[in-house]
Amino acid sequence: MPPRKDNEYIDADSDSDVDILDESGNRGRKSKGKAIDRRRKDKGKGKSSEQPYAWEASYARSWDTVQEDEAGSLTTAVADLLARNRRRRLLAPANAIRRTIIRHLIIILDLSLSMMDRDMRPTRFDLSLEYAREFIVEWFDQNPLGQIGLVGMRAGLGERLSEMSGNSQDVLKAISERHKLEPAGEPSLQNAVEMARGSMGHLPTHSSREILIIFGSLTTVDPGNIHDTLEACIRDRIRVSVVALAAEMKVCRDFCDKTGGQFGVAMNEGHFKDLLFELIPPPAQRVLSRAAGAGATNPAADLMVMGFPVRLPDTSLPALCVCHSELKSEGFLCPRCSAKVCDVPTDCDICGLMIVSSPHLARSYHHLFPVKPYQAIISLEEGSAFAKSCHACARSFPDAPTSTFTATAEGMSPLGRYRCPDCHHDFCTECDVFVHDVVHCCPGCGK
Amino acid sequence: MDKSSHISVVLDLSPSQWHLSSLPHNPYPLSFKSFLSQVLAFLNLHIASKHENTLAVFGAFPGKSVMLYSSSNPASDSSDSGNPNIYRPFEIVDSRVVTRIEEELELIDDKEEEAPIGLVGALTKALCYINRITHPTTSTQSTIVEDPAILPDPRILILSVSPDLSTSYIPIMNSIFSAQKLKVIIDVCKVYGPNTVFLEQAAHLTGGSYVYLERRDALLQHLVMSHLPSPALRKLMAVPTQEKIDFRAACFCHKNIIDVGFVCSVCLSIFCAPVPVCSTCRTKFPIKTLQRLNASRAPALRPVNGAAKTSAPSTPSLPSTPR
Repeated sequence: MPPRKDNEYIDADSDSDVDILDESGNRGRKSKGKAIDRRRKDKGKGKSSEQPYAWEASYARSWDTVQEDEAGSLTTAVADLLARNRRRRLLAPANAIRRTIIRHLIIILDLSLSMMDRDMRPTRFDLSLEYAREFIVEWFDQNPLGQIGLVGMRAGLGERLSEMSGNSQDVLKAISERHKLEPAGEPSLQNAVEMARGSMGHLPTHSSREILIIFGSLTTVDPGNIHDTLEACIRDRIRVSVVALAAEMKVCRDFCDKTGGQFGVAMNEGHFKDLLFELIPPPAQRVLSRAAGAGATNPAADLMVMGFPVRLPDTSLPALCVCHSELKSEGFLCPRCSAKVCDVPTDCDICGLMIVSSPHLARSYHHLFPVKPYQAIISLEEGSAFAKSCHACARSFPDAPTSTFTATAEGMSPLGRYRCPDCHHDFCTECDVFVHDVVHCCPGCGK
Repeated sequence: MDKSSHISVVLDLSPSQWHLSSLPHNPYPLSFKSFLSQVLAFLNLHIASKHENTLAVFGAFPGKSVMLYSSSNPASDSSDSGNPNIYRPFEIVDSRVVTRIEEELELIDDKEEEAPIGLVGALTKALCYINRITHPTTSTQSTIVEDPAILPDPRILILSVSPDLSTSYIPIMNSIFSAQKLKVIIDVCKVYGPNTVFLEQAAHLTGGSYVYLERRDALLQHLVMSHLPSPALRKLMAVPTQEKIDFRAACFCHKNIIDVGFVCSVCLSIFCAPVPVCSTCRTKFPIKTLQRLNASRAPALRPVNGAAKTSAPSTPSLPSTPR
């Protein structure tokens, strides 16, 4: 299963009902009207600065874009919309941008009484715990060298739920027991942010520091001036992102805007998940040196020495490990001093070399070398040779255009053919999405 | 009971490696002909062991990769003059694979023979094909409604003879991760040549088995014993496991396979020597770090250091640094 298949991006600029259609399709029919209603309202709220309110915008006749096919059925139209949505994601810029990959994230969970509100099913609290778990799993999948810590806001205090850890199991364990997290009292934004900031103070300069706040309350009780905390976050270059469950708060908005984070108000369960999952891909780093000129050196960048170990199987001869002094057969050998360590990634206790397993590093390379977007083939020109079947999966292409309406503007091919600009092989829609979302390697050119 | 399974077999068909393999000075020379006949026997076994079992065969040729056979696209039934003494499905597989290999080898001219082997292409095609059969989508207007419960357990078997191609490090790693996501096991049988670091990692990370063939005359036996049983069955069997797994990586600058590397903290690119500028993300590294790193590795690795210095200007990053 590709990781983000269910995570359809909500295009903030579109006012058509395309997103709503397929999203409310999965959700109960009952909530449909309401969801659209609230979405409209909140969209105006969230983007009030640059865009008129939704009710001031010109009305989009979204039903006109859906057409029946010859048989009078809507299935082809719906399939087309889905394919278009997938395709739109692929059209995002594919040039290599610099991203910070060694990430450190503190998730601040609101554990105040307002989280017991039932406007999201079953409660805001249960839902955010569930989504936090999914978020953590997916986050570690895409940011294998990252670390996550958890802080709770409960009864006016910041509460450390788990230390910074690179092991997803440790983090998940901290929020696995619901009864320990029972919401109480008022939240204190300042206390929690200060606690998160304190635990990120020692981090090396080349890693990113991020805070994600899931905030359900509309109030915060703070011991001091929260704007001082904000200043401190800016100074420490901590990126704060907030997903609010209730409504927009000025101070939250300020935190996000001034620290370069993202702010979003969740309108319903699906949107909440979307907002969270948008924060998973590594953020593009604000390039400091480029603005300052070619001569400047980015202070955040550094060259690190890393060793790639050899893993011993559990059938090898037992030997003492250097980390716990225990007799073990399995383990990893430091490539520089041949000391045996139990787990990677770690620093070798003997020679101090940072030992990582190279697959850990390689997991993030697809961000660096994305596959070029395939070009949609609009029509079959005469004279040029066209393959009968998809180059990757050998599915045969339709001979005639199947789409009921032309969608060339959004990069859809009416023939279901997409061509790699490098190797000029044709691929079908499924392979196009699969190659760009999952494999990250073109089957034709092998790069 | 046990589900039907799907195997995508990736054959490494490098003419030069097969020539070397058949030379008589090898301890156990294995010619391509006998290899192919043993592999065909294995493919037939797979089809015969369960009626629903499916099969796809991909060939990695120098510079290209081709799907040789797939059970969902049965070949055009032109060769109707079937031998009545052979089970028909076997015959179709055998003749199809053999004729396709012949056709493709005919197309290769002498120049292309030295091109790097298209293993990555074959591997990604196998993944795309598996993605297609495991996620039957609605948008294909085919009427085959497949029940997800009967969808086969997919796995990939790579029969490799070529050495590691270090330029394909990143694509191979990407394929491994997508195989993990699709829950596809990658089995590797190393028929000829030295152990390949990348395929070892592929087998290890996807939970498959990596078999290095020492007695190459016993290829069929190895295939049957360790690669025919489905992954569910393997838990009950003593399938050979890997001894050591080498987690080495290829550096981005010279494509060397290294065990200690220098890593850019911004994009995690790996270099075999300290470089002033990251060639991937154009990050400039502090001079102090460079000096420290150079000093620390100078006494032990003097010759390597010198070589790195002379070759440094050839890295693609440097000419564009003045920007």
